[in-house]
Amino acid sequence: MIGKELGHYRVIAKIAEGGMGAVYRAHDEVLKRDVAVKVVSERGATDKSSREYLLHEARASSALSHPNICTIHEVGEVNGELYIVMEFVEGKTLAELIGNAALPVESVLRYGVQIARALTHSHDRNILHRDLKSSNIAVTPEGLVKVLDFGLARRLSSEVLGEATRTLGPLDSGAGVAGTLAYMAPEVLRGEEADYRSDLWALGVVLYEAAAGQLPFRGRTTFELTSAILHELPPPLPTWIPPGLWAIVQRCLSKEPAQRYQRASEVQAALEAVQSASITSAPPPSDQRGARTTVHRGVPLVHVRSGDVLLFIGTTKGAFVLRSNAARTRWDVGGPYFAGHAIYAMAYDSRNGRHRLWASTQSQVWGTFLRSSDDFGKTWTNPYESSLKFPSDSGVSLKNIWQICLGRDEDPDRLYCGVEPAALFESRNGGETWELVRGLFDHSHRPRWVPGNGGLCLHTILPDPTNRERMYVALSAGGTYRTEDGGKSWRACNRGIRVEFMPEKYPEFGQCVHKIVMHPSRPDRLFLQHHWGLYRSDDAAETWKDIGNGVASDFGFAMVMHPRDPDCVYILPVESDEFRCTPEGRLRVYRTRNAGASWQALTRGLPQKGAYETILRDGMTSDSLDPLGIYFGTRSGQLYGSTDEGKTWKRILDGLPSIVCVKSAIIGQPRTPRKPAANHKRTAASKRITRKRVTAKTKIRRSGRK
Amino acid sequence: MSVTFHIPGVLRAYTDGRSQVDIAESPATVRDALLALWVLYPGVRDRVASEDGHIRQHINVFVGNEDIRYTGGLATSVPEGAVISILPAISGGQR
Repeated sequence: MIGKELGHYRVIAKIAEGGMGAVYRAHDEVLKRDVAVKVVSERGATDKSSREYLLHEARASSALSHPNICTIHEVGEVNGELYIVMEFVEGKTLAELIGNAALPVESVLRYGVQIARALTHSHDRNILHRDLKSSNIAVTPEGLVKVLDFGLARRLSSEVLGEATRTLGPLDSGAGVAGTLAYMAPEVLRGEEADYRSDLWALGVVLYEAAAGQLPFRGRTTFELTSAILHELPPPLPTWIPPGLWAIVQRCLSKEPAQRYQRASEVQAALEAVQSASITSAPPPSDQRGARTTVHRGVPLVHVRSGDVLLFIGTTKGAFVLRSNAARTRWDVGGPYFAGHAIYAMAYDSRNGRHRLWASTQSQVWGTFLRSSDDFGKTWTNPYESSLKFPSDSGVSLKNIWQICLGRDEDPDRLYCGVEPAALFESRNGGETWELVRGLFDHSHRPRWVPGNGGLCLHTILPDPTNRERMYVALSAGGTYRTEDGGKSWRACNRGIRVEFMPEKYPEFGQCVHKIVMHPSRPDRLFLQHHWGLYRSDDAAETWKDIGNGVASDFGFAMVMHPRDPDCVYILPVESDEFRCTPEGRLRVYRTRNAGASWQALTRGLPQKGAYETILRDGMTSDSLDPLGIYFGTRSGQLYGSTDEGKTWKRILDGLPSIVCVKSAIIGQPRTPRKPAANHKRTAASKRITRKRVTAKTKIRRSGRK
Repeated sequence: MSVTFHIPGVLRAYTDGRSQVDIAESPATVRDALLALWVLYPGVRDRVASEDGHIRQHINVFVGNEDIRYTGGLATSVPEGAVISILPAISGGQR
């Protein structure tokens, strides 16, 4: 080919060999300039229709004119040889620049912004790249990025996919199947049509690769690699990467396109924001670097995959993370994290593609800190300063954080913390900085709030999902408060809640509310567990009605809403304020399916003799799978779970420290647990079991009659 | 001569692993000495004191062998060459 002429282009030298064919440096004899010529091989376009397609796509892409896109000058065919003439770019590919080492953050951002600009330009013109990867991105010696091969890869990607799914053999390195597969979005691997968001996934892979020096998803075989892309979460980026950049990468790498950025311009803006922040903020002094992260060495970790169910267990002496797949039959246990510290609050934030676990750590000696982990517990932030502070002239100081609550979905950087002494803190930047909500702190009732047995704490926070100005909080003891103006002012909402411990039985405030729950589809209806008394409100907490119809005790702490049934609530009563143990030594969960008109005890699998257990206000939770999983932990360190909406229970763990908090999360897209009915053999078997049970019951009843 | 802080194990994560920190200036009181300590190592501050400026309840600070609770608290004077120890109290274990 060297020395040959294609039209008015004289081929000088071979530059590279790619998936579609070879690339040559050539000289344009008319315009007297060097160009790059891609000669499409037999493999790249075997038949007439695919050649026509390629020609069509190349012509469309030649309409793109942008400083960060390698311009296509001409597409032609000479003697049956298809060729594409492009701008000749001097420099190295991003893949060459990366090699095996991470690039400086500043370069990652500078190149990332330019790639995002190129995608913004092409997406605005309805052209997808379809094969964005570090070897398709050139960087000139001046640092100018040129994205190559726009829109030329539709046929190629289907071919690679076919090859990848047919073979289970080892991957070749560099170009070829591995070179493209590693950047393919999950939906493309699933055989769905690529769209703009598939390009944004690839951008996420490129950004990760540049920041970490290695790909986010790896495997020795095509099977391992595709499986990793579909199910694994990317390992966290090195600690020196700004959290903002890591958040952008994570969002680009959301398995579901709907959870990614929806436009390249959004990625561009986000990268530019991090870029300007990282230029202005000085790096931390070298002697302060050691304490920014806590690594729990020698502590078992859980390996989390997309679709997994996680349980977060806070105890008085550390936190634990449990993982299972959707079957929820076997649990791996990670932890204890922060051994010796009390963890009263945990939360999982998956908004904006994050995988962020929050925990509050309280040490009687060293104070209370809010920490987060982006790798399910392997490393945690360890802030120098406590991020939640009362003003120094307020006369109070932070004792504990009782609740970490995410803001509404449409407000993904908003978080709330409920603390002791009773107050609400708010963050508007994803938890980086926090402010005391003065409207509540300056409330005229505050001097007359009194501590309950657990201290004076604000433990329940309920933003109304349909009304951004409305939110409820509950505190012990002060009662329920509601804001209608985004937190500026608060009104006590306790009408109808009886207090046994005060001479006035229905005061405006002073109630010792233990928990409130709400269903997102009916936000005006609330259920409330009081220090004596179960209540429901149907008018956004204006009035409350007693619904303790037939429970063993209407004293208790924990209360959980069914995520799909607004009439269904679970509680776990204890005997009294004197004797805070399960009544009669029987561990019973109670459930109502008619909004409190009646309650049913759920006991199968739970100890019904000598079980004097205490379950605290955040000690019970549900997952969101169908059938629903419910979990609760006791002060004696036992963890129980049900995976059939509470019908039957199993002890998951024993011997933990005293449990104060149980939370759950589904990672990524939930996978439906296998239902027995889907399998004929199982159906038959389960029918037999049911029949046996019925027989057994009948026998008992009959013998009872005798 | 300066003043020397003895740093307990838990706090060494915030003092570059140092168990002893020398304050070059000559602080007059424990308060001044602590302020100088957390200019050097800001991570120590919020673990030793709460935001209202008090030493945390379950932390004992000694000048030499004397608990500052009985010698004037933060206003306790610090002689040249003094050793100030920060120690968790035995009362502070988690329930």
